[in-house]
Amino acid sequence: MSSTAKDISKVSRRRAFSKTDRTTLSAFVGIPLFFHLLLVWIPAVLTILLSFTYWSGISISRIKWAGLANYKNIFFDTPAFWEAVKNNIVWLGWFGLIATPIGILLAYQVDRQIRGHKFYETAYYLPVVLSLAVTGIIWDFLLRPDGFINGLMGRDIDNAFSFFGNYDINIYVILTIASWRHIGYIMLLYLAGLKSVDLALREASSLDGATEWQTFKKVIFPSMKPVNIIVIVITIIESLRAFDIVYIIYGSRGGLPILGTLVFSNIAGEGASMKGAAYAVILFVLSIGPIIAYLRATFKSDVQ
Amino acid sequence: MSDTEKGISRRSVLKGTAVGGIGLAAGGSLLAGCGDKATGALAYGARSVDAGPTAQNEALIAAYTAKTKNEVKYNATESNAFQNNLSQYLQGTPDDTFEWMAGYRMQFFAEQGLLADLTGVWDAVGDQYSESYKIASTGLDGKQYFVPKSWYPWGLHFRKSMFADLGLNADNVTNWDEYLKMLDGMKKKGLVGFAAGDKGGWEAMGTFDILNARINGYQFHVDLLAGREKWTDAKVTEVFTYWSQLIPYMNPNVLDLEWDGAMQLLLQRKAGSMLMGSWFGGNFKEQSEADYADLSIIPFPEINPEHGRDTIDAPIDGWCVAANGTNNDGGADFLKFAGDMEGVNATLAATDKDGKLIPMTSANSGQDTASYDPFQKEQLAVMAEAKYITQFLDRDTRPDFAGPVVGPAIQSWFKNPKDVAKIQETLQSQWEALPPLA
Repeated sequence: MSSTAKDISKVSRRRAFSKTDRTTLSAFVGIPLFFHLLLVWIPAVLTILLSFTYWSGISISRIKWAGLANYKNIFFDTPAFWEAVKNNIVWLGWFGLIATPIGILLAYQVDRQIRGHKFYETAYYLPVVLSLAVTGIIWDFLLRPDGFINGLMGRDIDNAFSFFGNYDINIYVILTIASWRHIGYIMLLYLAGLKSVDLALREASSLDGATEWQTFKKVIFPSMKPVNIIVIVITIIESLRAFDIVYIIYGSRGGLPILGTLVFSNIAGEGASMKGAAYAVILFVLSIGPIIAYLRATFKSDVQ
Repeated sequence: MSDTEKGISRRSVLKGTAVGGIGLAAGGSLLAGCGDKATGALAYGARSVDAGPTAQNEALIAAYTAKTKNEVKYNATESNAFQNNLSQYLQGTPDDTFEWMAGYRMQFFAEQGLLADLTGVWDAVGDQYSESYKIASTGLDGKQYFVPKSWYPWGLHFRKSMFADLGLNADNVTNWDEYLKMLDGMKKKGLVGFAAGDKGGWEAMGTFDILNARINGYQFHVDLLAGREKWTDAKVTEVFTYWSQLIPYMNPNVLDLEWDGAMQLLLQRKAGSMLMGSWFGGNFKEQSEADYADLSIIPFPEINPEHGRDTIDAPIDGWCVAANGTNNDGGADFLKFAGDMEGVNATLAATDKDGKLIPMTSANSGQDTASYDPFQKEQLAVMAEAKYITQFLDRDTRPDFAGPVVGPAIQSWFKNPKDVAKIQETLQSQWEALPPLA
């Protein structure tokens, strides 16, 4: 955007604002801002403060300063934390290297209108309509020891194939389930982006003799930068905030530790302690760090 | 159940309960308004959405409303969700009376001022309960905050018909060697000997409790849970050593199954025995009357002759009144009815959808044990043999330790049973890292 355009818009805006406009605008900005602060930022700041305290969540007068004790506890005395970090990293790796690329590939194929693309589009998009909790319930019915798949394999509950209880494979079982939904989600996002790519670009590249892969890599992909950023950010966020499926399948105790369930199991119920708040802060820092870094890098290159 | 009194009271003393306060004649001012005077409509919070308990509650509430003309609003929540939200629930706008558990879990909330004093209810119906129940209903300040409904023992459950088929006699399974021999026989017949599930993270706590009590005794067990003994103690290692002897006889998918999965193994005759609380008998009865009649319980076998079979996990369920409720008097009035034999009879008269009575072992001494069905009589016998009563691991230690720490630790032991030393160290270090109690 050139600087003159900016100046013009500034000037015209100043001129056009009547008193009513200003009231309307401040209401439109102010009310959401108020709720945003009230429901997002104030709780976030309170959570950060509480993570430095001992508190069972009951009666404010009982809050006691704990300094870094909760963090010390997590980093040095809680092996579940490091297991959870490992699982979240595996999750991120799987989404970033497998699920998201598959989603992009599908979007590209559907956009090329390969045979049966309408079917693929619907089939892959269908899971996205379901919440992750429902996804978890469906797959639990399928894969549990007395579930559908074990029934098909003719296995009874006493010799059922272990999908959720075998710790060599269960993270991948969960990731497959999560991908079932994630792939469709990414496909849809990417498809929307691809629809907006100028057809002339494609024609030009094919006239120049580029292969399908070269067209995608050199022409389509770079022209989709805004969508790519969204896809990357969503992949990171989805991997770190993962909670629903694991909670539905394993409950809040143990099972497959990931950061999301650790926050929950330490802050919900009778066992509530501000260790849960500390987990939440760690998760917050982990999620916001890469996102800010990425966005900054992107905007910088935009400005240049 | 005079034997049980000793158990609970000793435990309570050890926990620092001011037992001396129990005998205090309570003022009962809270209940001054009760009696014939109407206390008004109230809300009831149920901790279950299952058919059996719901039918019981409905029968109890109907009887109460018929007697007092007080309307009762019934709110039921699935038990895990209820437990997870309890702190917020009690600090918000809770139902006037709600279902909860005795012991540590009640005391914790009473300490925070979230439960209403029920000494008045105890003045009215207290003589219908043995002292042990009063102690289990008493907060650290010596006042009662809980009215017990029912109890159930944890023991080895099996099917009589299976034992008959296998040529086994339950009376001959009194010690560890005999038990292992029996498990071995079952294994050779292609059966799971010891049905186990721990996906929920709490089920196996019952096995830890009983092994620790059998090997190291009641005293060590309660001291360990109270933090006066160390989890790194060789005695705890011993518990896991014995436990690992059971692994070959367990179903291989322990971490895949929750309690109901383990129960299915027993129900489908794929497993010979299961350690569990007898409450699941209701599920057998729902299945069929024949399955229920086939169900039997014996105490967990002796391991260390010094301790015999003197300890048992026997949790007590019941009700509290939420201090933040709108009608504390109404809640207390309801519990006075529910705790009285009149209310107990109404509960016992409840029937399931097939018109069959729902089995319950009431805490009220007025329930005639002669009216018990055979399975309930066995439960009573198992209970009577024990000298010391514990509630359950997650009812006997700090809530921020049991759920978030012990549960996952036992699960990780199932993942890698050789890791005992590391697991013990983690348990101890996490105990030490707990915040000081207020």
